Amino acid sequence: MKIAANLFRVPLYVALALLIAFGGGIMATLYALNASSGFGAIRLGAWEAFPRAQTADADPYAKSHRARAGQLLLGTAEGLRFTATQDDSGQPLSTACRYEITGQTPPARLWTLYVTDRNGNAIEPRPGLPVGLNSWVVARHPDSSFTIAIGRGAEPGNWLPLPDGEQPVALALTLFDTPTAGSSGLIDLSMPGLRRVGCGRA
Amino acid sequence: MLKLAFTVVIGLVGAALLHLVIILALPHFTGLDAYTRVTAKGDPQRFYILGEKPDETGLADSDPYVQAAVCPFDIGDLPVRLQARGAVPFWSLVIYDSSSNEVFSMNDRTSAGGALDVLVASPVQLTTLRKALPEALEQSILVEMPRAEGYAVVRALAPRKSLEDAAHAFLAGASCEEFSSP
Repeated sequence: MKIAANLFRVPLYVALALLIAFGGGIMATLYALNASSGFGAIRLGAWEAFPRAQTADADPYAKSHRARAGQLLLGTAEGLRFTATQDDSGQPLSTACRYEITGQTPPARLWTLYVTDRNGNAIEPRPGLPVGLNSWVVARHPDSSFTIAIGRGAEPGNWLPLPDGEQPVALALTLFDTPTAGSSGLIDLSMPGLRRVGCGRA
Repeated sequence: MLKLAFTVVIGLVGAALLHLVIILALPHFTGLDAYTRVTAKGDPQRFYILGEKPDETGLADSDPYVQAAVCPFDIGDLPVRLQARGAVPFWSLVIYDSSSNEVFSMNDRTSAGGALDVLVASPVQLTTLRKALPEALEQSILVEMPRAEGYAVVRALAPRKSLEDAAHAFLAGASCEEFSSP
C-alpha cells in the first residue's frame, strides 16, 4: 500500500517542482523586464534616467530590456532622457490631474519635454495644441527658472496639454549635449520639481 | 511535509536558474531588438528617415522636436563613410554594433567645422588607411569598429517649426556609403 502511494506521490512532487521552476522563473523574468529598464538608474525627484543603458557596460537586465524594447537609445554624447511616471509625492501621473513643473534643468544645450504613454511613445494632443515644449520656446522667470502647467485645460504661461480621456501617462524630458550623461554622480544635479496641483475639476 | 518543503525549495532554485538563463540569453534571440528592426528597413549603406509614429519595423523617433535617420551598415569588405552637412541648431550621431552597444557618439560641437564626416572601419582597415591617409579623409573622424555589422543613428533638432525643413534637409542629405581609397 505504501509503495503504491509513493508511486503516485513522487511524480506529483516532481511535477510541482517543475511547475514552480518554470512558472516562477518565467513570471519573475517578465515582471523584472516590464517593471524596470535595469539597474544603474539615476533618480532625481520624480525623474529617472539610465545613462549607461546603451553601453556594453549595461547590466544583463538592461540589455534584455533594450533587446525587447528595440528603441534607438541616445548615445552618451547625444544626451540623456529622463522620464517621470509619478509626481514628487509618488502618485502615478494621470491625464485626469493637473501638474506643475518648476525649477531648472541640469546644464544642457537644449532640452525637450513631451507627454508619452507608459511605453515611451509620444501621445499627440488634439490638432492645433502644442506637442511639447523645449528650452528655446519656454518662457522663463528672471532667474532663468521656469514654471510649466500640465493639464487638459489651457492655462496661461507655459502649458503642456494632456490628452483627453483618463489614462496613465509619463513625461519625457530629454537633455541634449549634457555633462549629466557622463556624470559619475559627483556633480550636484537638480531636476525641476513635478507637483500635482489637483485632479478632476477641483 | 518535509518532502513538500523540499519540493518547493527545489522549484524555487529552478525558477532562479531559469530566470538567470532567460535574462542572459534573451538579448540574442528576441527578434525585437533595435538592430533587427534597423536591418528590416531595407538595403544597408543608406539612411532611412524615421517618422513620428512607429512604422512596420516598429522604429520611431518619438520626440516631436527631433528628426532621426538610421543607416544599417556592414564594414566586412570596405569601410563606411558617414557624411552630412547643413545648418541645424543641434545634430548628433551614435554608432551601435549589432548588439546595440554604443561604439561611438558625437554631436555638432565635437565635429570639425560643424559638418558630420566619420569613417567607420575595422582595426585592420584602419591600419592600412593610416599608413597613407587619403586626402579626402584628412578632416574625417576615424572610428574603429570591433565588429563588422552595426548601425548609425543621426538626429537633428528643430526646436521651432521654421527649422523643421532644415533638419529634414540635413537628414535627407546625409550619406552612408562604402569608402574605397583611390
